[in-house]
Amino acid sequence: MADETLPQPPETPEAPAGPYVYDYAASPQRQIVLPKTVPLPSLKTYQAEVKAAAAADEAKWAKQLADFEVAKAKAEAEGKDAPKPPVRAVPRKDDNDLKTPWPQEPKDADLLHLQEVLGSKVEEIFEQAGELTCQVSKDAILEVLQLCRQDAKLNYEMLADQSATHYPAAKEFAFSVVYHLTSISRRKRLRLRILVPEGFIPESACAVYPSANWMEREIYDMLGIRFANHPDMTRILCPEDWEGYPLRKDYPVVGWGQRDISFREDRGGRLELIAMQKAGQLGINLKQPKAE
Amino acid sequence: MFKNEEMEINLGPQHPSTHGVLRVKLRLDGETITHCRPMIGYLHRGVEKICENQTFFQGQVWTDRMDYCSAVANNLGWAEANEKLFGITVPRRAQYIRTMLNEFNRLASHLIWLATHALDIGAMTVFLYAFREREDILDMNEAFCGSRLTTTAFRIGGLREDLPPGFEKLVKKFLAKFPTCLEEYENLLSENRIWKKRTIGVAKLSAEDAIALGVTGPVLRAAGVPYDIRKAFPYAAYAEMDFEVPTKTEADTYARYLVRMEEMRQSARIIQQCMDGMPEGPVMAKIPKILKAEVNEVYHATEAPKGELGYYLVGEKGSGNPYRFHVRAPGFINLQSLPKMAEGGLIADIVAAIGTLDIVLGEIDR
Repeated sequence: MADETLPQPPETPEAPAGPYVYDYAASPQRQIVLPKTVPLPSLKTYQAEVKAAAAADEAKWAKQLADFEVAKAKAEAEGKDAPKPPVRAVPRKDDNDLKTPWPQEPKDADLLHLQEVLGSKVEEIFEQAGELTCQVSKDAILEVLQLCRQDAKLNYEMLADQSATHYPAAKEFAFSVVYHLTSISRRKRLRLRILVPEGFIPESACAVYPSANWMEREIYDMLGIRFANHPDMTRILCPEDWEGYPLRKDYPVVGWGQRDISFREDRGGRLELIAMQKAGQLGINLKQPKAE
Repeated sequence: MFKNEEMEINLGPQHPSTHGVLRVKLRLDGETITHCRPMIGYLHRGVEKICENQTFFQGQVWTDRMDYCSAVANNLGWAEANEKLFGITVPRRAQYIRTMLNEFNRLASHLIWLATHALDIGAMTVFLYAFREREDILDMNEAFCGSRLTTTAFRIGGLREDLPPGFEKLVKKFLAKFPTCLEEYENLLSENRIWKKRTIGVAKLSAEDAIALGVTGPVLRAAGVPYDIRKAFPYAAYAEMDFEVPTKTEADTYARYLVRMEEMRQSARIIQQCMDGMPEGPVMAKIPKILKAEVNEVYHATEAPKGELGYYLVGEKGSGNPYRFHVRAPGFINLQSLPKMAEGGLIADIVAAIGTLDIVLGEIDR
């Protein structure tokens, strides 16, 4: 159809000034607090943390002992009573039913098989909370998915879920993309994980698992990771002209055009006052009767 | 006749048979669909982003509003995913009550599916019959947790309250009459000539295609794959229950109808077993008032009435909010198979295809 016949759209008016300005300082709710840590579950990091904590504990104890010796020598020299010897602190035991699942050494045959076949392409394998995780090199993901699909020992038929997480505090990467595979015949689940930096375009899983189509579109829509060789890399949940990627950590929670006064932030009771006035004009008594 | 002229039309977003605000772009050659493209996102509220900015306890309220026809199943998935994240063991009585309410919810969800699906295809009568029984289930929800639809039935670590007094009587009354109700629906539909013509051979999806597209739930089981997460990866008290996973091999709309009807019978069986074997004891585990996570990630999948409902959670050390929350909504993944089902078929049958997938747009758009 010729374009001349269509009515021309009206010119876009300028964005209204006033309360709808994207001003972080004016609206406390819109201020973004970027995460400071990188909560990427990993056996190596966990082991290093445990080691560091044990070393710190040991150092603290050694310092306590040394301080005690100094204090004792000083007291003896001055002819006073000897100070109390230090007691090593025992970690406090919480009286609840929480048993935090820590990362464990891999024992499962699938993980060991993957490491044997793929060699250096596997970056890390571990188990946590009864789930198998295999982190692979970001360039080899398609090959690994093909192996999981076709290897008779693995035979993961279904890609159940695919999603990504934004880690702005990390230096070497910006996102982790996880693939949750299910083997219906063997009743097993496996999580594959790749770490991708900003701007990296990982290979799409659609060639191996067609179900990745919409999941990758959702990842692109929400986090802005593009996938190579994807049949239809468009936004899926947001409109096509949406700006920004909502599930990134630097995206504000309160969006455009939302009210700036929060009831929780309203310490001065302005909103309540307005409500009372309005109710009074309408002849409604909103005041609560005082308890006797 | 008009071989060269293809027509493009939109089904929805405001169309009674799209179960919400689904828009399907169709290209037609006469009455045959040559191209079908579902367009979603009209109900997108950003549940994942909201839950990432709320505590673990607050997040549960949002799961009610995803698949609002099966809120209890969503609550169960959320509670169990969190319990996996924190390593909480739930008391056995709470597990049984959860299982029972979850099965009631499956009945309610299947009943609403039956009612609307039949209504879409033209069988008006079943609608009111199915809603009559669903009303009883909603009354039971109300007796248990005070609300009928958005239940927030469970808490992380167990239940807020034990069953109310007199609940067993309600369950007994319901179980006594439900088999006859099922027969009533089947008398209306199973041998109905119009129903059979509208469903047999319509919207076929083979087992290979279903697995490749990630389709789960009754749609997959009607293609002959006996994959039910309650059996494959047992959760709650399903490992102790005796039930069957109904399958059919025809992989068409009629087979899915039969599978869902049989599933309702099995659900009633599970409820009976829960009532008979209900253990005594506490209903809440001992957990702190404020949950602080450690670095951990879990993916917990449960068998919601529509299929595999998965919750992916990432915990941050010392934080009371999930660092990342992602829902694997069964409807979202199942809807991907709509083009495969509809293309090559008649335009009148796309209504049956949408109905047989049993979609709820609240969980698809989140």
